[in-house]
Amino acid sequence: MPAERDVRLHMYAQMTRSRYFEEAIKVAYLEGKQPLFNMAKGPIPGEMHLSSGQEPCAVGVCAHLRADDTVTATHRAHHIAIAKGVALNAMTAEIFGKRDGLSGGRGGHMHLFDATVNFCCSGIVAQGMGPAVGAALAAKLMGSDAVAVSFVGEGAANQGAFHESLNLAAVWRAPVIFVIEDNAWGISVSKRASTAVARNSDRAAAYGMPGIFVADNDTDAIYQAAGEAVRRARAGGGPTLIEIETWRLEGHFMGDAEGYRPSGEVAALQARDPLLVYRRRLADIGVSAAELESIECRGRRAVADAIEFARKSDYPGAESAFQTVFS
Amino acid sequence: MDVTIPADMWGDEGDAVIATWLFQGGELVSTGAVLAEVMYEKASMEVTSPGTGRLTILVEAESPVRQGQLIGKIEAVPTDSEG
Amino acid sequence: MTAPTAAATTRRLTIAKAMSEAIGLSMNADSKVIVLGEDIGALGGVFGTTQGLLERFGAERVRDTPISETAFIGAAVGLAAAGMRPIVELMFVDFFGVCMDAIYNLAAKQSYFSGGHVRCPMVLMTSVGGGYGDAGQHSQCLYATFAHLPGLKVVMPSNAYDAKGLLLSAIADANPVVFMFHKALQGMGWLGTVPGSIVHVPQEMYEIPIGKAATVRLGSDITLVGLGLTVHLALQAAATLSSEGIEAEVIDLRSISPLDRETIAVSVAKTRRLIVVDDDYRSFGVSAEVIAGACEEGVDWLAAPARITHPDVPIPFSPALEHPLLPSVAKIVKASRVLCAGKVA
Repeated sequence: MPAERDVRLHMYAQMTRSRYFEEAIKVAYLEGKQPLFNMAKGPIPGEMHLSSGQEPCAVGVCAHLRADDTVTATHRAHHIAIAKGVALNAMTAEIFGKRDGLSGGRGGHMHLFDATVNFCCSGIVAQGMGPAVGAALAAKLMGSDAVAVSFVGEGAANQGAFHESLNLAAVWRAPVIFVIEDNAWGISVSKRASTAVARNSDRAAAYGMPGIFVADNDTDAIYQAAGEAVRRARAGGGPTLIEIETWRLEGHFMGDAEGYRPSGEVAALQARDPLLVYRRRLADIGVSAAELESIECRGRRAVADAIEFARKSDYPGAESAFQTVFS
Repeated sequence: MDVTIPADMWGDEGDAVIATWLFQGGELVSTGAVLAEVMYEKASMEVTSPGTGRLTILVEAESPVRQGQLIGKIEAVPTDSEG
Repeated sequence: MTAPTAAATTRRLTIAKAMSEAIGLSMNADSKVIVLGEDIGALGGVFGTTQGLLERFGAERVRDTPISETAFIGAAVGLAAAGMRPIVELMFVDFFGVCMDAIYNLAAKQSYFSGGHVRCPMVLMTSVGGGYGDAGQHSQCLYATFAHLPGLKVVMPSNAYDAKGLLLSAIADANPVVFMFHKALQGMGWLGTVPGSIVHVPQEMYEIPIGKAATVRLGSDITLVGLGLTVHLALQAAATLSSEGIEAEVIDLRSISPLDRETIAVSVAKTRRLIVVDDDYRSFGVSAEVIAGACEEGVDWLAAPARITHPDVPIPFSPALEHPLLPSVAKIVKASRVLCAGKVA
């Protein structure tokens, strides 16, 4: 059955906040990169992987998580960080490379670490899976019912660490949930062209754990599936693999020409934007337009505040590059 | 000779950007040599030389350009009998 | 005024174009050459290394792979042992962690373990370098990490002419060659490119021998050794130093392993001053090897050798942190002045 009204509104609030965030980051990222897109220029240099369209995966899962539950994620992780409760101002400052960033500018967009809510992300495909298994085992050894969640893309399901991590999690009966955000594209290569099976959730059977497939980027269905998996893990029932059919509305990275996407694909996906779908669903259950607008307004303000905070923050001093190499 | 962006290079309206000049002003270039790379909507295209001679650059790299725009000139140089 | 003869007219290519041209020529000449890697098919490689190849040679010989480096690099070793000549792309050198066994325990040791009976004519091409904000897992150089391992050859061009020649040599080599290409020299539309990397490239096939450095500028006061990007930094520094009466000799290593110790030795015997410019981490690397090797020759140094490198810290994201760590023209000029202080004009 669907989540309670408050939870659903909370998920909508996080999804909209996450989307506004990506839109604001996109604007800031493109500054200084016109007319010629040079990745090194502007207030946010380097790569940028936006999560627009994949918000349901983050909120549907994180709605069940506490601060002491661990989440590891990938290069496309802003929506997950926000849903996990990572401090938005510090996260934004980190993306801008400022001193007030989560790690003082050392990590940037692909390496966001917030130990207060046990969140981290990485730029190496499938790298976060092993650590999630370890965090889960730690919870078990320390007598806590905390769980760990590893978010990966469908491309990671063909990487060695995926298979090792699933097997190990099952052998240890670790309270970990593996979540695949299947957006169908590994940069320019489609899932169909790279993966031997149609459903990665089917691979769970090979590792002795339940495999759940959630279709159509459906926030409530994701919430449902994740809830069962988290409850199972907390109760000592071991790991689960959840595969979510989602989509990305932007390129793999900003600057990606996306020539590999069939024409019309993005437009068709925009028409099914999960935020629009969920807004309509909430209206259908009687949430007033005023309440929805109020949620959206708060989200926009939080994002605007975070961007302003980041812009106003100072850059770190050069000598801080030499600090924290060792703890 | 004029070095221009081909009139139908990218089909749609709008500007592209000169990403790189492969030669500097004053250098000798030959017919068909790729002179510059132009980026339109993140795709890269090449502008080739219409003739042999010395290149003059009229529009610098990182500048926006339209289809049909003049971006350089080639001044034919008289050939020496000694080659 | 020189006439525009056929010899004088030039055809300039970026390193990316030179690489795809080299591969195309090899594939045309030898049906055993195939290319594997992520996004090397329709996309032509994230760094343009395989542009146009899928259209020309088809999907059997130009294969997009899943994100499975251990499997496809291992497969390349198997292909090579069976008589094929695979070219594999490791998208970023930083990703070596997930597949290093296939490289250094497998590919590098095929010939040795088999007493030369099983060969590994494989090219592993991979992007290196940072300076544009891609942070600690996408900006590394790691030259020494690979050069350190017996059984691998490691090369890196500083320009398109060398890129084509070195890649053709690498493809023809019976051994595993790691072909590194620096992102700042590649010629991508979405990243700045050092202009000096775009040079004339002949149409035909030609090879540049692996294991030979190039002296790209002659000088008698100080030897500057560089590789890839740092060659261009050294050349710019040399121009500034020349106006101050210091003539620097610049060596472009081209091959990291085997290292051309002879060219370095001849140069430092003449100049008796040495600076190595290496954008990899400082310690336990190429800069140390060049200096140690030169010392072993017994040089009567006029000043202690120096090195300009990235310090021993992970590469930070913020430009305020990253940029001051990078080797630069200013750092080379400053260090050269110090080593040359007291030089009689």
